[in-house]
Amino acid sequence: MREQYAWRSWTLAAALALVGFSIILQIIRIQISPEAATFREQSEQFAQTVQTFYPQRGEIYDRNGHLLAGNKTVYEIGADLRNVKDKHAIALAVGVELGLNPDNLYALMANPNSKLTYLILANYIDEDKALALKQIKLKADQQTSAGGQNSLSGLEFTAHPQRTYPEGSLASNVIGFVSREGRGYFGVEEKYNDLLAGAPIQVRVPVDPNQAVNIPQVPNGTTLILTLNRDLQAAIEQTLDDALTKYGAQGGTIAIMDPRNGEILAMASTPRMDLNQFWNYSTIYQNASEYDLAVSTPYEPGSVMKILTMAAALDDNTVTPATTFLDTGSFLIGGVTIKNWNDQAWGLQDMLGCIQNSLNVCMSWIASQMGSQNFYGYMNRFGLGHLTGIDLADEAAGRLKVPGDTDWSPSDLGTNSFGQGVAATPIQVMMAASAIANHGRMVTPHVLYAMVRDGRQFNVPAQYAGSPISTSTSQTLNQMLATSIDNEASLASVPGYRIAGKTGTAQIPTQFGYDPTLTNASFIGWGPVDDPQFMIYVWLEKPSASIWGSETAAPVFAQVAQKVVLMLNIPPDKIRQQITQH
Amino acid sequence: MIRTIDVIHYAYKQAPWRIQRQWISAFLLIVLGVAMVAAFYLDVTARAALKGREIQSLSSDIIAIQQSDADLETRIATLTSNSAMETRANALNYQPVQSNQMQFIIVPGYVTPELPSFISAPPLQPSSPTIQPEYTQSLLDWIDQSLRTPLSVSAMGASQ
Repeated sequence: MREQYAWRSWTLAAALALVGFSIILQIIRIQISPEAATFREQSEQFAQTVQTFYPQRGEIYDRNGHLLAGNKTVYEIGADLRNVKDKHAIALAVGVELGLNPDNLYALMANPNSKLTYLILANYIDEDKALALKQIKLKADQQTSAGGQNSLSGLEFTAHPQRTYPEGSLASNVIGFVSREGRGYFGVEEKYNDLLAGAPIQVRVPVDPNQAVNIPQVPNGTTLILTLNRDLQAAIEQTLDDALTKYGAQGGTIAIMDPRNGEILAMASTPRMDLNQFWNYSTIYQNASEYDLAVSTPYEPGSVMKILTMAAALDDNTVTPATTFLDTGSFLIGGVTIKNWNDQAWGLQDMLGCIQNSLNVCMSWIASQMGSQNFYGYMNRFGLGHLTGIDLADEAAGRLKVPGDTDWSPSDLGTNSFGQGVAATPIQVMMAASAIANHGRMVTPHVLYAMVRDGRQFNVPAQYAGSPISTSTSQTLNQMLATSIDNEASLASVPGYRIAGKTGTAQIPTQFGYDPTLTNASFIGWGPVDDPQFMIYVWLEKPSASIWGSETAAPVFAQVAQKVVLMLNIPPDKIRQQITQH
Repeated sequence: MIRTIDVIHYAYKQAPWRIQRQWISAFLLIVLGVAMVAAFYLDVTARAALKGREIQSLSSDIIAIQQSDADLETRIATLTSNSAMETRANALNYQPVQSNQMQFIIVPGYVTPELPSFISAPPLQPSSPTIQPEYTQSLLDWIDQSLRTPLSVSAMGASQ
């Protein structure tokens, strides 16, 4: 009986085996079929999704930990076209809430590119507006059945960071700004763009949870700490603005550097812009060189250059402080007659008199005594005509014509000695003068104090750019410059502090020669003389109240110096010397 | 004699139904073994998938928290910005100090404070920890790896 029905079992087993075998056969056939590659491609597509990561751009702080540039959350609002049920409702809600045209939004969703499944309706939306729209979506979802009319399903919110500047326009000339594409422009933001990074990147992310370990770790940008002192920066910006109003200047810059290590403590230029509204850039500035006058705009600095000429001559032993010169009021060099600023003859002068009275004739004589090769060798070592290497974008090298250049003439030796016919930026002059203030060692100016990455802080050491003059020369010239300030009771004097410095008044070259009515007024000074802790450069462009640097830039220097000694806690000389004795 | 042997052989031969049951038992044993391994594999895979989901969720949380931190930091910076603090100081009738109002006092042993350190946390470990392949590879991966691993390497591994 059992054998009689055994064939049924065998038939069933054979049928099942056949089905199993067919399945295996089909699997093998698919694997080797021509469509296999397509299937594999499809499976890989579904295994990964392309996501846009918005790594946080590194923050920027001042030296005391005040945030100068940070990030805030904004939203990208988009429509997932696969899930959108009511385009009219979405267009209306987004349009009304964000102040956009609903008709345009609807047209965007109604006629998408055939391959698009996601549309960006608005981006960089502030958190409060985005959250309000989210609330509307929640309410709409509760009130309408899924997929019904007025449903806002398909409306997507993606949070991402955006650059923000809590201090507004403060130090805008130094910091620069970041465009919406994540690229830095000007200042630190451009110079250190690669370090700060934070640009959005598209990455393939595995959907398979078993591959979660392969989720890419997009690193945030490096945090930068600047040498700037925020409060000092605010103070000198205020001083600069007041000075422009008081002296009727068209523009100006004030920079403060620690001459011992090249740290820029503050740097203000006009005009400035609110960095949170960077799109106003083109209405504020005509060209890029205007963004930071201290770094990007070379000009003829005038008599402040005399300190370099005197430094070179003293170091070269061409003159000593006691060397005398009979000033007859004119000096012929290269076929050009050089005259003093007041067209007067100053008679017998020693070198202190030459520098104190800012005599062009004397300086031209000194340069001629040095010889062009020697003079330009020193100017070259002072860095004129070269980039200082300051870590800010768009630095200009200025221009120093030297023998051999097609446009150089022998008369340039005379005019260059008192700062005419040579173009330099304020930061170049400061770097050169740092050799005088810093025992003959010239420092490279810089704004980066430290970098922080992965929980580690990397401090930036001071860099020195050579020693164009000796220590003894720097000490001699320091005393000469301080004495000249004391002797003439200069408006640059700071009560309680001995200061070394020099004014500069330079006529402005035009295509028809020098304009006698317009000048650039400058002052460079540092102190305290026996232990220089700050160096200040003031440049006022075309002041109308007075054309003289001694009446405009010098008092501005004094105001700034008084703020500097207060904010940097530098006691008056007497007290400081008492502290040293203790 | 031959007949006697046939009779003995027949007498000691197992019944066909017993042989059939032995085959069935052996087959069922294999099936059970495979099912146990499959169940174990399924269990491990399911738990790994759950952990994977958690990792994905935590990754999103990290990004959200970082953004929230940045928001709060920016808000604090805005509230304590130079202009905001100046406004508050003016409202409280504070005035900027002038140099002639300053008094310096010599304090023996006073040390000028150093600049603040910007390191808020100990150095971070490398972002992706090393996970042993035993925790990530599938059963098929493991078999594949076992087949591909040269014997000498296995022997060396065993001797360590």
